[in-house]
Amino acid sequence: MKKKAYFKADEAKTGLGVFKGLEVRIGQIVDDEWDEPMGPTPMPNPTTLRAWDHKLLTKYQPSYMPYCQVCCLCTFGKCDLTGDKRGACGIDMKAQQARIVLAAANIGCSAHLAHARHLVDHLIEEYGPRTALIQGPGTEIHAPVSSLVTGMRPRYLEDASLILDYCESQLAHTLSATHTGQEGSWLDFESKVLHAGMVDQVSMEIADLVQISTLGFPQADPEAPLVESGIGMMDTNKAIILTIGHNIVPAASITDYITEKRVGDEVEVGGMCCTAWDITRRDPKAKVIGPISWQLRYIRSGKADVIVVDEQCVRTDVVTEAKKVKAPIISTSDKAVMGLPDRTDDDVASIVEELVSGKIDGAYISDHHKVGEVATKVALAVKPKRRKMKFFPSKKQIQKMAMECKKCSECIRACPNDQNVMEAVLAAQTGNFEPLRDVYRNCIGCARCESACPNDYDLHSWMVVAAEADCKDETYMVRTGRGAIQDTEIRNVGQPIVFGEIPGVIAHVGCANYPGGGKDVHDMAEEFAKRRYIIVTSGCAAISAGHVRDENGQSIYERRSGEFDAGCVLNVGSCVSNPHIAGAAIKIAAIFAKRNLRGNYAEIADYIHNRVGAVGISWGAMSQKAASIAAGFWRLGVPVIVGPHGSKYRRMLIGNPDDERAWTVYDARTGDRVVTAPGPEHLFYAAETVAEANVMTAKLVLRPNDTGKGRSIKLSHYIDIHEKNYGFFPEDVWKYIRRDTDIPITLKDKILAQMKENKWKEKRIPDPTLLKEQIIGGEK
Amino acid sequence: MVMRPVPWQTGEICGPDSAKSLAKSDVIKRDLSKAKKPLLIVGSEAVAEKHGKGDMIDYAIALSKAGSIPIVATGGAIKAFIEKGFEGAKSMGAMELASRLQDADWKGPHGKGPHDMILIYGIPYYMQWTLLSAVMNFGTHITAITLGRYYQPHAKWSFPNMKEKQYHELLDEILVLVGGGK
Repeated sequence: MKKKAYFKADEAKTGLGVFKGLEVRIGQIVDDEWDEPMGPTPMPNPTTLRAWDHKLLTKYQPSYMPYCQVCCLCTFGKCDLTGDKRGACGIDMKAQQARIVLAAANIGCSAHLAHARHLVDHLIEEYGPRTALIQGPGTEIHAPVSSLVTGMRPRYLEDASLILDYCESQLAHTLSATHTGQEGSWLDFESKVLHAGMVDQVSMEIADLVQISTLGFPQADPEAPLVESGIGMMDTNKAIILTIGHNIVPAASITDYITEKRVGDEVEVGGMCCTAWDITRRDPKAKVIGPISWQLRYIRSGKADVIVVDEQCVRTDVVTEAKKVKAPIISTSDKAVMGLPDRTDDDVASIVEELVSGKIDGAYISDHHKVGEVATKVALAVKPKRRKMKFFPSKKQIQKMAMECKKCSECIRACPNDQNVMEAVLAAQTGNFEPLRDVYRNCIGCARCESACPNDYDLHSWMVVAAEADCKDETYMVRTGRGAIQDTEIRNVGQPIVFGEIPGVIAHVGCANYPGGGKDVHDMAEEFAKRRYIIVTSGCAAISAGHVRDENGQSIYERRSGEFDAGCVLNVGSCVSNPHIAGAAIKIAAIFAKRNLRGNYAEIADYIHNRVGAVGISWGAMSQKAASIAAGFWRLGVPVIVGPHGSKYRRMLIGNPDDERAWTVYDARTGDRVVTAPGPEHLFYAAETVAEANVMTAKLVLRPNDTGKGRSIKLSHYIDIHEKNYGFFPEDVWKYIRRDTDIPITLKDKILAQMKENKWKEKRIPDPTLLKEQIIGGEK
Repeated sequence: MVMRPVPWQTGEICGPDSAKSLAKSDVIKRDLSKAKKPLLIVGSEAVAEKHGKGDMIDYAIALSKAGSIPIVATGGAIKAFIEKGFEGAKSMGAMELASRLQDADWKGPHGKGPHDMILIYGIPYYMQWTLLSAVMNFGTHITAITLGRYYQPHAKWSFPNMKEKQYHELLDEILVLVGGGK
């Protein structure tokens, strides 16, 4: 693999003179240390893997549900695309929907990629380009996603930069395809969606790899520390700095400053969203306050003395909200300056003075070295004054204000979850705050109810007041992100996963746009952990999974091990840690099946799709980033379930169980075409309820390669979960029986009767592949 | 409470076409009589929604019996039908239905199709909105009538955000229209 040589010197004395800040890039050198042969598709362009994509997209046909039936992207429009109409550019409804899906995947990918680029550039600046990249002990298969896609093993920060060069070029192509008069086929738009998702996965892997390697994070550590979490865990006797977003760099400068100045007894740092995970990976004394949907409730509480925002998923009205509670705010990312004055080049004392005095509401400081000092000094200075302030109305005041409710229902109409906010307000008129408290429990913190209210009630604040006791009770211990899965862990579980004896790997990832509160994530994770599936978590879902205590007061992370093993629950970390989950599946192919990874995408994806019973669940998926993360898993053939709000992604990837051709695979041993059961039945699916998600999860872990024992175990769980949630024995079990050994022994009578009724015939268990080139000895 | 045919969730505005207001039961009489193979789709929220002395599952059963309309339950609502001793309902996911209803040859969950009409309620508002968008744009062989309380723009006929009492009265009228309620 060719790459550029690069070095940098703060000061170099040469015959020509003294050079300060010298950076030199020299030609190309060849990395020939890796003896694994290069596969067929290193650094694929948007059409290199088109044939693989088309196989997936034929099996799982996009089902479009137009969320907007016009196109308003160019001045030809708006164009009405309903029915069989076409726009002025010639595009039809299906292609337009696919185009918008691609736009979302591009946006999501760009957020992670720009995040990764910032980290890599910053860390090269701090530590130098030859800084080694280390995932941790027992990770000889290094950076599996990058290796698979690019054919490069990123050994040093400079390698990471080269890989991001590739990602950036690909994103430019897939983004350009959404321009008017570019791509015109829904199928090719969808193929590019998968490409953007794959590129996203590479960029996320690079982002996490570089921060794990340099910032003192746990390295592939099943015993990553348990850290304090929840609103009730924040110590208001100390000054509190709230960090929100995804990028560790400014947050790390704060904890570093606190440690260096030994002021940890006076000030503490809490994070929200993925910055929360990464800051606790860096410093376990920091705290995870909550997921993205907790932003408003915590800011409004006024407990944060300083708010520091970095990038992604930050409320865009954060400055307005901070101002309401007189909390100075610091923005730190060029992607989210938030309209604040640029004080980067000013001296710390003057910035601190102006923030403390209130002369300025906030400041944009892009020099992260200054952020820690400014935030800490300001927090300490404003805390005594702020602790005397009260920001929420009293219950008595709310009761009085509620009397003026116009009963217009606009708050209900504005609520994404149709919460009966109005009835709760009317109950508050009588001093009954329980209904408002109930609304709080299901609230995703969007505050659309407030925007809609003609009386301008601060309805979200009222809910928080009603649920004051619940907020105080939010005290949990959660395991911070461990990073990668060790090769040794894969060796232990690879065979039982591929053979189906560990029934599946279920990943709870993504945002917090839950239809009915975050507890659902915990309950789903626990349901399958107790059945000895491997449960992996990341991002906001990982926080919500930990925000439930059992009868012993323990969170799921306290009562279950963090190893990659049956019945365990392991948090890999923040959003950019998701590729460790994909990496585990890739490593199974490398370790258990001894497949080459290097630049060998289609073969490995085919292996995972047919053999590794993995399912991703993003119950609160909200963002474009969640869309691109899902797309990365789809291209690997891993199905993803989202909550009901996920239907608004406007396109599902749905299999048709009645179409035998769709479930035909090649038997790699013989080249024969073999009809298999529909498994996994769908590639992207929005479930209406937790009950449906659980049944679908148990079904989507089925794979053509399951052994008899494995299939029998998976079917036992599917049947049990189906009966529990739907109240009857599933009617399609017979389809999944290939031989007698597949039948769960305790359910034999019922299944045999179903098989007889459906004229079941024995089927063979193939060595399944969708790729002709995988047939041993070539195609027949 | 708005009593207009505008989307119940304020942001869920649609495209150039939108459903006609089902403010009186008579307006769907013609479509109901023309439909050869209707399908009743009942979502998870129907389980907790009251109607008369029972709930919206009981209403579905009554409607199904009166009009010989097969029922498909989504999101686990099937359990409520079984608990009430009603064996005629099938279970499918809302998103599976959104996909399969686009196929004009699909025989339906009971094998009695292809269906030319759907009557639908009980799926979370925004999810039903997307399902109906699929039907409106790609399942044009189907006449969609929503029987939920709130306006769904992608149907052919939809209640226009009704007051609760009025809504349930209208449901009873529709039951009579298909031959039930006696």
